[in-house]
Order: sequence, then C-alpha cells, then structure tokens
Amino acid sequence: MTERSLSPSPWRRRFRYVRDRLFTLAVTACGIGVILAVLAIGVFLVVEVVPLFTGSASTANSDAIDIESLWLPQQYPGYDEPQYRWQANAATDADTPMFSLTPLAWGTLKAAVYALLFAVPLALGAAIHSACFMSRRLRFRIKPVIELMEALPGVVIGFIAGLVLAPYVERHLVGVFALVLVLPLGILAAGIIQARLPWCLSKRVPLGWAGLWLIPWLAGLVALTLGISPYLEVLWFDGDMRTWMDQQLGLDYATRNAMVVGLAMGFAVIPTIYSLAEDALAGVPASLSEGAQALGASQWQTLWKVLLPAASPGIFSAVMIGAGRAVGETMIVLMATGNTALMTLSPLDGMRSMAANIAIELPEAAPGGVHYQLLLLCALLLFVFTFCVNTLAELVRSRLTQRYQRLGGTT
Amino acid sequence: MADETSPRQAALHEVVQDIPREGRCFEIEELSVAYAGKTALSGLNLYVPRHRVTAFIGPSGCGKSTLLRAFNRLHDLNDDVDRQGRIMLEGQEIHAPEVDVADLRRRVGMVFQTPNPFPMSIYENVAFGLRLQAALPKRRRDEVIEWALESAALWDEVKHRLHDSALSLSGGQQQRLVIARTLAVQPEVLLLDEPASALDPISTLKIEELIRTLKSHLTLVLVTHNMQQAARVSDYTAFLEGGELIEYGATDTLFTNPRLARTENYITGRTDR
Amino acid sequence: MRKLLPRRRLLIEGPGAWLAAGGVALSLLMVLALLALIAGRGLAHFWPPDIEAVTLVSGERFAGQPVREQGLPGQASGSERLYRTGNRDLDGDQWRWVEVNAIDTRTTPEDLVIIERRRWGPFIGRLLRLEGPEAQWTASDGAALWRELEERMARVSQLRHERDALHNHRLEPLAEHVDDSAMSPSEEDELREIKARILALQDAMQRDHVVLESLSGQRLELSLEALIEVKRPNAMSLLAKLASWGEGVWRFLSEGPRAANTAGGVWPAIFGTVMMVLLMSVLVTPFGVLAAVYLNEVAPQGRLTRLVRIGVRNLAGVPSIVYGVFGLGVFVYGIGGSLDSLFFADELPSPTFGTGGLLWASLTLALLTLPVVIVATEEGLARIPDSQREGALALGATRSEALRRVVLPMAVPAMLTGVILAIARAAGEVAPLMLVGVAKLASQVPVDDEFPFIHLERKFMHLGYHIFDAGFHGGDVQAAMPLVYATALLLVLVIVVLNLTAILLRHTIRARHVVQAHR
Repeated sequence: MTERSLSPSPWRRRFRYVRDRLFTLAVTACGIGVILAVLAIGVFLVVEVVPLFTGSASTANSDAIDIESLWLPQQYPGYDEPQYRWQANAATDADTPMFSLTPLAWGTLKAAVYALLFAVPLALGAAIHSACFMSRRLRFRIKPVIELMEALPGVVIGFIAGLVLAPYVERHLVGVFALVLVLPLGILAAGIIQARLPWCLSKRVPLGWAGLWLIPWLAGLVALTLGISPYLEVLWFDGDMRTWMDQQLGLDYATRNAMVVGLAMGFAVIPTIYSLAEDALAGVPASLSEGAQALGASQWQTLWKVLLPAASPGIFSAVMIGAGRAVGETMIVLMATGNTALMTLSPLDGMRSMAANIAIELPEAAPGGVHYQLLLLCALLLFVFTFCVNTLAELVRSRLTQRYQRLGGTT
Repeated sequence: MADETSPRQAALHEVVQDIPREGRCFEIEELSVAYAGKTALSGLNLYVPRHRVTAFIGPSGCGKSTLLRAFNRLHDLNDDVDRQGRIMLEGQEIHAPEVDVADLRRRVGMVFQTPNPFPMSIYENVAFGLRLQAALPKRRRDEVIEWALESAALWDEVKHRLHDSALSLSGGQQQRLVIARTLAVQPEVLLLDEPASALDPISTLKIEELIRTLKSHLTLVLVTHNMQQAARVSDYTAFLEGGELIEYGATDTLFTNPRLARTENYITGRTDR
Repeated sequence: MRKLLPRRRLLIEGPGAWLAAGGVALSLLMVLALLALIAGRGLAHFWPPDIEAVTLVSGERFAGQPVREQGLPGQASGSERLYRTGNRDLDGDQWRWVEVNAIDTRTTPEDLVIIERRRWGPFIGRLLRLEGPEAQWTASDGAALWRELEERMARVSQLRHERDALHNHRLEPLAEHVDDSAMSPSEEDELREIKARILALQDAMQRDHVVLESLSGQRLELSLEALIEVKRPNAMSLLAKLASWGEGVWRFLSEGPRAANTAGGVWPAIFGTVMMVLLMSVLVTPFGVLAAVYLNEVAPQGRLTRLVRIGVRNLAGVPSIVYGVFGLGVFVYGIGGSLDSLFFADELPSPTFGTGGLLWASLTLALLTLPVVIVATEEGLARIPDSQREGALALGATRSEALRRVVLPMAVPAMLTGVILAIARAAGEVAPLMLVGVAKLASQVPVDDEFPFIHLERKFMHLGYHIFDAGFHGGDVQAAMPLVYATALLLVLVIVVLNLTAILLRHTIRARHVVQAHR
C-alpha cells in the first residue's frame, strides 16, 4: 500500500488551487465583459441620441429638436398645409431638410402588418396541422425544412420579391387576387373529394400526409389561375386591371408595393411563427387532450376547446416574435418597396421603413449631425421595440412552460 | 416524542462510548444543513469508525444523501445551501479556511447512485484523477491503473479492452469502473450513495463483495434503501428520519434488537402513518 | 335510436383541419418554388442557348438568343418574346421584344457566333474573316479559320498575362517607391524600359483582327485583344455544350466581375465573404463560449443571471441593421476614428480605419452572432448531466479542471452547432454590411503579398451585397438577372449546407444524450 501511495506535493496543490482561482477569475471577467459589450448597444444608442433633445448637437442649425416636431405635421415652405414629411437631403441649400418620423414609423408598421396578415394564418394553420393532424414521420421531416426556410437570407428573398415577383404580380393582378379565393376553396374541395373517395383510395391520401399530397394539387390550381388570369382581365376589367382600378376606384398601383412586401416578408416570418407556435401546441400535456377525446370530442373540437386555449400564450408570443422580426427586417423592404415615404393604407402603394431608411441614408449622414442622430433615434426605436416585444414574448413563454409542467405533473 | 427522548439519547450515547477516540474517522458535531431555507439535517452528532463499513438507512428524504454529501463538501457547489456545525476528518475541521477542497475530495472519494463514467476510454477514466494529482511516468501510471482495476474486481473483465469507451460497459461494470477510478487516487474514505440501486442482483452482489474487501484499508460510508444490504455488508448502522439521527449502533444489535419503536417499525416495514 | 355510425359528412375532420393542412402545403410549395426558381435560373445561366436567326414578316432580319415569352399586355391571346440580340454598339440596345405573330421564320444556322467582348457586351452575328499580318482566313476556310482563331486568341491571352505580370510585379512597386523618394537615374531608365516593354506587348496584342457582320448587315472590325470568348452554340454538340456549361460555372466561381457587376464572375465576392466569415468566427467562438461558460457554470444562478440570460436571448431578435448602426458608430467612427488620429495622422483626412472595412464588418457580425453562439453553447452545457461534473469533482478535480477536462469536451458539438449557425446567419446578412464596410467593386482583395498581407482596413466584396448591387443598382438589370440568380444560388447553397450540418450535428447530440439517459 505504502509503495503505491500517492502523496500530491503541497506545491502542486497550491499550483492547482491558484490556477483554479485564475481560471475562474478570467472566465468571470471575460463573460461579464462580453455580456456588457453585447448589452452596450442600447446604451450607445441612448447616449448618441440624447444630444438631439438637449440641443448640444454640433451642427449649424443646432436647436434642440422637440419630440412634437418629429411626430406632428409641420408647416414647410412651399406647401399649403402642415405635412408629414421625411426628406433628409435638401435639393438646394435654400431647402430645409424635413424630418418627420411619422411616415417612417407608418411604413414600418404597414409593412409588418401586411406581412403578418399573410404569415399568421398560414403559419398558425401549419402549426396546428403539424401538431394535431400530421403523421409523426412526416412531422420529423418537415421541421428541418422549415428551419432551412428560416435561414434563407433576406437579400435573396428581397431580390426575388423585387425583381421577379413584383413585375409578375403586376402583370397577373387578377390571377393573384383570385388566388385568395381559389386556394382555400381548392383545399376544401380536396377535402371533400378525399371524403368521397372509396376507402381503398382515400387511405392513400390521408389527412396526416395532406401537407405533402396537397402540394401538386395546389401547384396545379395556382398555375391554372394565373394561366387564365389574362382572359379574366379582358373579360372583367377591359384588359388591364391597373387602368381599371385607377379609373374606377382611383387606386394608384406601384410595382413594388405593400402587397409584394407582405408576401415576401410574410414568407420570411412564417418559419419563426410556425416553429414557436408548433412548440407551444405540441408541448400541451397529452393528458389534457386525451381527457377531452375520452369524452367524445373530435380532434378538431379538442383542438379548438382544449389545445388552443391552453397554448394561446405560446401562440401569442410566437406572433409577437414574428412581428419583431418583420419590423426589423431590412433587405426585403429595401428591395421590394419603392422606398418612398408615403402614408397610405393601400396595399398597392409603396412605403419606406425605418430599417431601410437607415440602410440607405446612414452611410451618407455626417456623424454628429442632426440627420445622423435622427437615424440613430430610428435605430434606438427599433431596438427598444423589438427588445420589449421579445422580452414580453419570452416572459409569456416561460410562464407557459411552468404551467405545462404543473399540468403535466398533477394530472 | 417526549417519552422517546431519553432512551434515544441513551442509545446514541452508548455508541459514542463504543468507538474509541483514536478509531474515529469522521466526527460530526451539531451538523445542520438547510436547502433554500428548508431544513434537511438538524443537530446531528455522529462518529464514523475508521476501516469499518457504516450504513445510513432511512426513508426517502430523511437526509441521508445530504449527510453523505456533507462529508466531501459537495454542497459547496450549491449557492443556496446553509450549513452549521462541524465535521472533523481525522481530527481536522474540513470547513477550515486552510483546507483545500480539491484535496479533501481526493481523500474522501464518492460513488454515486447511477454510474457516471466519463465519455472516454476505460483507461482514461481511471487515469483521470491520477493525471490531476501528479505527472506520473507512463509505466508507473499503468501500474496504478491495473492495481485500481484489480481492487475493483474489474481488471479481468476489461484488461483486453482498456481503450474501449467506458460507455460500452454494462451498468455493473460501469459502477465498478467508477469505484476503480476513485480508488486510483488513494482515498482514505469511500462514500457510496446507493451504489447498487440501479443494478441487477448479480452486479449488486459483486459490489457488496467489493465493499467487504475494501474495508481492510478504507473507511466506507454506505447510504442504502435496502435493509438486507445494510445488514449484509455494514458493521455499524445509523437510522435517520426527518433530518434527525434516531438510532445508531452496531449493525447486529440495531437490526436484531432495536432500542426504539420507530427504528423497529422502519426495519420491519411497519408504518404508523 | 341513433345509428352507431355517424352520417357520412361532407368533410371528415371539418373545414378547419383542411385549411390548416393547406397552410403546410402552401408554405412548402412556396419554399420549393423559390428554391426551384433560383436553382433553375441560376444553373441555366451557364448553358449556351442556341442563337436564332429571325426574319420578321416585315422582312427585317436579326439574330438573338430567346430569353422568355409573355402574354401581350391587355390582350387575352398572343404573346411577345424577348431576344438578347447583343451588338449594343451597333443597335443601341441589346434586348428586343418581338411579337410572336410578327415572326416569319426562325432558323439556327451553324455559323452564327456569340462573342464576349471587353466592351459593349456580347456581339451576335457572323465571323467573316480573320486577318493576320501575314495572311487571312475567311469563313470558307471552315475548320482552319477556327483553329487559327483559337491559336491566336491563346497567344493574345499569353501576351496579356505577360503584360499584367510586368505591370503588377515591376511597374507598380517601382512607381510606389518613386512616389516616396526622388527618382535616381537608374530607376528612371528602368521605368522607361518597363513602360516600353508594356507598350510593345500591347502592340503585339493588337496584331490580329477579326471582321464581323451582324445579320442586319453592319460590319465591325475588332482586334483580338478586345475579345474574351468566341462561341458557336448552334454548332455545338450536347457534350460540347455541357463542357461549355462546366467552363461557365468555373469561370463564374474563379473570375472577377465585369461590366459594372452585370457580367463575369464573383470570385472576389466569394473571397470577401469567406474572409469576413472566417474572421468573424475566430472572434465569436472564444467570446461566445466564454460568456456561455460564465453564465452556466460560474455565475451564481440568481435572479440577475436569469435576467441577463433573457436579455442575451432577446438580442438575437434585435434587427441586424441596429447592429450595423452600432458598428458604424462605435467601431468605424469611434475606435476607427481614434486609431486614425493616433497612428495614421499623416494620411488624414482620407481615413484608414475610420471607414468601413473588413475588420469592422467582422466585429459587427461577431456581435450580431454572439447571442446565437451563447444560446447554443448554454443549451449544450445545460444538457450535460450534473453527475458528470460531480464525478469529476469527487475525484479531487478543481472546478476549472472539471470544466476543462469533462464538461467542455462534452459540449463541443453544441458549440460547433452554435458556430455553424452563426456562420450561416452571418453569411446571409447584408444590411449591417452596407454600413460597415462592403464595397460594390473592390479593386483589391483584402489579402495580398504586401506587408502585413491581410489588410483589415480594406473594403471587401460580399455575395449578398453583390446580389443587391447587381440587381438594383446596375444599369442593365435584364442583363444582370442571370448572374444575380447564379449568385443567389451560390449563397443559398452555402447557407443550406451550413444549416444542414448544424441540424445533423444537433440531431446526433440529442441522440447521444438520449442513449446515455436510457442507460
């Protein structure tokens, strides 16, 4: 025993002790440093923006800007009425730049709203289907595909939206509007046909795999609708829907408009909303839904009466996080809108969002000037908005997880 | 309760007399431990005899695992653990500032409920602790590893596959590997936290055999749920309930002739509640 | 009494269930359509299409490659077709819309050529003759003409190579040296000699000419120096076309852009993207891992740590443009500006570090992706059972030893996942780069043989920005489109591969932990 005995030298013990202390100290210092650096973003923006309101900006026209003038209409020379205007670059020296954040905020929210209008029904539908109806095997395959969809870079989606989708939609307006009706009806038709099929056929196209076998059916419907679009246009709108809308409804049509942005950015936020909502729905303890089904409720009733209410906070937070993403997305809005600071509700007009505005103007703005600081204020607003939205969503989500654990534990 | 106090005190006192002072490995005085404000142990006094097997028995949540983890200060990892009282190892207070926790844990080895070999080779698992302590030449290290595996009665089973992953072993083998890994750093005490609860009967038997051989040069402390196991392998047994030490004595006496009704009820499987 | 079997309903599960299924199908359809569009168009870009010789009903003739066809606006029937006719110097435009009804005949004669030129875009028409100083070959010489043309073009490119080498390795260093100090007579001689040799080479490149004729009858004489590639797609076999396709892909990947980013390759953009991403991962990996280790292993797990964790998690959702603003304000104007006034004062007012560049872009993206790495690593650390940590500690390991030897090695796959996801995100992120250092056309890549070899302050090209720039700022969007598709395909491929790796890695980690938990 003695010849094998292991007696660590006190010197080595000391060395290991000191090394441990040093290591812990280094990790602590680095960790705190990194976290502070990351959190410094908010601090930096606030520090840079403050002079804007205290009037210490180092520019010629360095009056402090009051908050009202940023959000209320202003009287500008050359206009009859007070206006909301964002026009940073004065064409001549005589012109004063016009800084109103209202049209930018409007554009940001408008783009986000149209994106959500498109994305939320699709994403929630998809989440509900894959959580409740989809076959397990398919579900495991679909998730990575949707994750990939989330990773598609904004610049690629924006390019497709701005250069391919926008001109195409312009030429097939009738078809695109018709799709809003055709697709849901087509899906229901597929369901009815499936129910009418003899058993040996209908078991080959079960609801659990509808996510796959509906694809060719829908692709066919889309192709058909867009194919007959020119005929419909001749039939109903004298051959050109754009002119017709202009004359009959007084609607202007911009090639790159809110509708295209809604489609493209909706596409970009679908995966975010989908995966969070799906997690929330799939996380509902099985005992709850089994209880409802044991009482004779159909799957759809169970979903509607039990699952959705239980998961609603999770779904809410999914939509919130989707909204946060839509508000901050830059490249898609930049590429798929005309970037004119308009304040209309029409889906056929363009807009200019805060994020796109920063991307366009900040490289040219002189550091320290009013314009620069206003752009930083935009960034700060974006930061605060997304941060708050995400925090809220995160809190709601963690509450929900706790509730699930309780429910899962007691039943 | 009140009428039980005096015989209980007497029972405890007797054991204290039994163990000569120079034979005490651990001496515990007035130890209280609380987790996040909830008391787990209160006012414990206990001696653990050297080179014997001491078993802690008691219902779940009685504090026996907590007590075990106090011996090697594994509670230090938790921020919300509050401890009072003293634990002396060979006459030295283990919470004294000059004590090196890492070295204390080397001297007081521990084996856990579920086998937890590292995801490395068998050889590396045993060499892990050795490498920490000193830079031994390879030949010497190989010797120690062989000795440790032999002591844990595992050498014959693994000597041809020392470089296979430790996770490829069976559960019982994994547990013996963990014991070998602990033995390799030459501990004075071995704490065993229900070492056989996750194992099949044959593996359990092997572990019990091992425990009996190891006590020739080690102090062993065993926490177990299994009363037969405690009766089979231990020399002394302590019965804990509700964070308090109820009865403590030589295993034979405690199992055949418990002094208190509470102990008897637990041992025979009767419950008042 | 009700029957046990319900009446056969219209829909078995109700309309909601079907509409929900439609959500999945429609989302998948959109992804597939998008990927198919990008892949199809991106790959087709390199396929040499046939050149059609078109005779219109009006008797006019022209040659061009058909691009696409669409319905006439405002009419239900009839369609028009877009031809790429080239010859921008002769016709003023290289695109032509033709009503399909107005076309009389379409043929694909084998002698039509498409010539990529250094200026004015492609030429489409006939090659009449090749003129050398000693002889000339006409179209009637057949194969001999083409052989000769090939040889002579090879000679020109050899000469060009020589000239470039002379220019880059002798003239430029000398000129730079001369800038710094006065010229000595010997240097003056050397400079003169080099210049003369370059001029001679350039003259030699101008030696041979081709005479071309468009289908509308206009003639054009070009020196071989102005040509990049001559192709006769109509005369090519399928195999030859395939070879030409492969060559096109290779040239796309290996060459620099031409014609204001609307033609040529994307090599500098690939290089810039890779450099930036590499630098970023070098920065983000250690810091992200350290922060995660601190949060999960060292920090006291109290309310504050929980708040910080939520904060870090939420930063992943902050728009990337905000990080760009931070990078511009802090790195470029703040740190870069101070560096300039400290170390590069003699170069001011032209900024060195005080403007967007590789280093600042990498730093900004590192900050942007830090939350990704931190969250992934923390998840990995949290998955490691406490019994492993306790096992190490019970053997007498200090906390740092347990961490380094047991915990961190087990968390490596999770860290890798985080870093790969970070890289995938950074590779596709364009908005912050527009603020902190991407260039439309960087004449120099940020790496060369000049000390200190990696120029962190230089601007660089980026695949994502290349898409934006070529598609939205170029003059001729129509001409740039195929290239943009190809670039988008490349970017998507890179990102998809990275993400798939991350997904697979995560899958294996989960599987492994499940196995361990079951034991």
